[in-house]
Amino acid sequence: MIELTVNGHAHRLDASPDMPLLWALRDLLDLTGTKYGCGIAQCGACTVHLDGEPVRSCQTKLADVAGKQVTTIEGLHPEGRHPVQLAWVAEQVPQCGYCQSGQIMSAAALLARTPRPTEEQVAEAMDGHICRCGTYQRIKAAIHHAAIQS
Amino acid sequence: MDGMIETSRRLFLGATGAALLVPVIARAQPAPAPTPPGMGDPGPNRGPGQVVPFIRIAADNSVTLLTPVTEMGQGTHTAHAQIIADELGCAFEAVRVEVGQPALPWRRQPANEQSSGASFGIRFWHDPLRRSAAAAREMLVAAAAQRLGVPMAELAVAEGRVSHAASNRAVTFGEVAEAAAQLPIPAQPVVKPPAERRLTRQPLMRKDIPAKVTGAQRYASDIKLPGMVYAVARLSPVPRAELDGFDRASVASIPGVLDVVPLRRGAAVVATNTWAAIEGAKALSIRFKATPEDGLSTEAMMRTLRQRTRTGEAARYRNEGDINAAAANGARVIEADYEAPYLAHACMETENATARLENGILELWVPTQNQDWALQGAARGAGVDAAHVRVHTTIAGGGFGRRFMGEVSEQVAQCVRHMGRPVKLIWLREDDIGQGWFRPAAAARLRASLDAQGNPTGFNFRTAAQSIFAELRPALMARPGTVDIFAAQSVATDHRYRWGGNIRAEWARVDFQMPVYIWRSVGSSQNGFFVESFVDEVAHATSKDPLEMRRQLLAHDRRALNVVNTVAERAGWGTSLPAGRHRGIAYVESYGSLCAHVAEVSVTGNRVKVHRVVVAIDCGDFVNPNTIAAQMEGSVVMGLSAMMGEKVTLKDGRAEQVNFDAYPVARLSHAPQVETHIIASGEAMGGVGEPGVPPLAPAVCNAIFAATGRRIRSLPLADHGLSF
Ligand code: FES
Ligand code: FES
Repeated sequence: MIELTVNGHAHRLDASPDMPLLWALRDLLDLTGTKYGCGIAQCGACTVHLDGEPVRSCQTKLADVAGKQVTTIEGLHPEGRHPVQLAWVAEQVPQCGYCQSGQIMSAAALLARTPRPTEEQVAEAMDGHICRCGTYQRIKAAIHHAAIQS
Repeated sequence: MDGMIETSRRLFLGATGAALLVPVIARAQPAPAPTPPGMGDPGPNRGPGQVVPFIRIAADNSVTLLTPVTEMGQGTHTAHAQIIADELGCAFEAVRVEVGQPALPWRRQPANEQSSGASFGIRFWHDPLRRSAAAAREMLVAAAAQRLGVPMAELAVAEGRVSHAASNRAVTFGEVAEAAAQLPIPAQPVVKPPAERRLTRQPLMRKDIPAKVTGAQRYASDIKLPGMVYAVARLSPVPRAELDGFDRASVASIPGVLDVVPLRRGAAVVATNTWAAIEGAKALSIRFKATPEDGLSTEAMMRTLRQRTRTGEAARYRNEGDINAAAANGARVIEADYEAPYLAHACMETENATARLENGILELWVPTQNQDWALQGAARGAGVDAAHVRVHTTIAGGGFGRRFMGEVSEQVAQCVRHMGRPVKLIWLREDDIGQGWFRPAAAARLRASLDAQGNPTGFNFRTAAQSIFAELRPALMARPGTVDIFAAQSVATDHRYRWGGNIRAEWARVDFQMPVYIWRSVGSSQNGFFVESFVDEVAHATSKDPLEMRRQLLAHDRRALNVVNTVAERAGWGTSLPAGRHRGIAYVESYGSLCAHVAEVSVTGNRVKVHRVVVAIDCGDFVNPNTIAAQMEGSVVMGLSAMMGEKVTLKDGRAEQVNFDAYPVARLSHAPQVETHIIASGEAMGGVGEPGVPPLAPAVCNAIFAATGRRIRSLPLADHGLSF
């Protein structure tokens, strides 16, 4: 049994300690906003917060999250109205949308650390993500938007 | 259908020179049916409140559009809702969009398939959907007239209500929808004239975005059915090799693994969760039959392509004037060889499908671009009649042409049949890239002749590449000498440069056993790079400004001139730039749209930075300008990504790049600022999803030449030691 806290709720999971958090979230907890894109830490689609820090859940074993706080896109804000989410709507960022949970989690973590990030800081925080639809220009605009709003 | 592109109005057979109309032709719909297009039997889509095939109206006034088109990020569902709300006379917010089941009115002809490709989502469906909504509105008005006992002419429609001003009474759509549905569908519904359209040509907010920022959007890969198990495929790294056998014992000790299902080209490991299935798929000891393709290498293939730009048979699709006389009489001939590699789609959501078989009905949830191929695949896999398959088309995590294939639909159905319970099947990224249906590689040889003043007097263009259609639509390519319309894209009638009236264009078909199919903008992505880079070469060779060169070649064509002039003006062509920045221009027509880019680029050592791209697109008319801007931004990034470093090579028949560590895709810091200028020319509507891709690579490479004097004639740039 692995004990972990996801979006403020305590869970006990009967799963292998080697199982990546990604699949535990998706298959065992039905939190499917966190996505699989590559499985090798290249795309960022699986990004969640672990004690507030963005991590790749495809590379994070369940054993490593025992006793820690996991936040997924579903738990970023109770009504889905986190400033970053609102900015993403205002700037009409998503196309297919598949990468966006991960992008939003990284952007939210960036702004929590660095409320007024420079262009370089944005690039550094976001370059681990792939958006095949190419929404980067709007991601940059939305991060700027959220930074100004907060 | 994927293949219906404007480029093919006029194609020629090489050997005889006789005009040959290729069987797949733009707008080649069958003779008009007695009912208006899109008004046939709703078939499996029939449901309560079905006023016309595409439109249902519920008692609560909600309108459901059963669209033919898959939403894979391009924004078509929002645009379709705009069209329907506008024509029906209801609020945009009242329209919900679903994808309909494959049935006649949802299918495109002559392929008779429901599919989303060739940038047809809006340019093809705008009119049929508008006519359907107009018919539904007329039926609602007729039903309201009966209900209120007043003549139809005295009724007005707005905001989902039919009202009678004189008696100050109104009924809602919901109140009369059932009665309206009983009326005959008008054969000649009258659509609103453009001046009365209120919700189209408007940048309305996309319907799908709110659910995509909260994690609430369910993709097919997120579906969980009661009793469902999880399958992960393990497919042959040599794309065509078939399964020889596997050793079940190799996965027996993995906790959670339930079974292994044999597939045509591999196996699926089924487990109680995805992770166990992945572990099983990786551990499975599996053998594949040898194939002649085991030795296939792109190095050898590229050599063949290069050679075939010079020798052997080629199908000729343009032959105007006298290209040889032009060369013989000219003062100068310029020649160049170009090439482009195989490319992968790499949609962020890997190929996947979920299915269940209950009471003889196979239900399939799949992000497909071809519902009919998905349906046929599932029927085959489950061993059920096609009439017993229901295709639920989910919102797709990207498409770009990859999702035409029915492989996952067939495989998941095989799993369901084998397991006797619902199954979700996913492909790992390694298969998603490695299994291919790549954009073909191509080699090209270009020649221009010039008179003593440096004016162009002739153009000779010959490419060598695999055929897109040869494998999947063999009937279209059965006649020897037939041109694959994708090979001719942007060089057929959609190439407007005059070249002194002497033009020859040929394509040498080369058959490799490499699985190829469409990839966002297909042949235009290559031909655009070849032609527009070459035109730049010709300009520089004759000391002409590259913009002036294009103006000269397009002097006879006001529409095209306007596009290059617009992009030049908006980009400030000819004005000074910050130190170190240089401009490049390219103009490519594809999918009925004319598109030009000006790229601003700097090169420091071997590092290339694309700062800004100005885009002008004439797509005739449009529905949602914000979606168009988004498509141009995305197209620029996809074009840039391919240009920078994307390339699939085969060694011993296997793709050498199967995940993002080896198949590099553009990231945020690579993305330039894109400015989009839409030209509403009033011409026939063109596509938007693809035409923004082809001009990018040549615009940037032309800017690199301006910066460095270095001419790039093959992609990707990483092969030339350039980084980003
Ligand atoms: S799935 Fe984890 S980084 Fe791509
Ligand atoms: S929105 Fe499609 S991958 Fe980012």
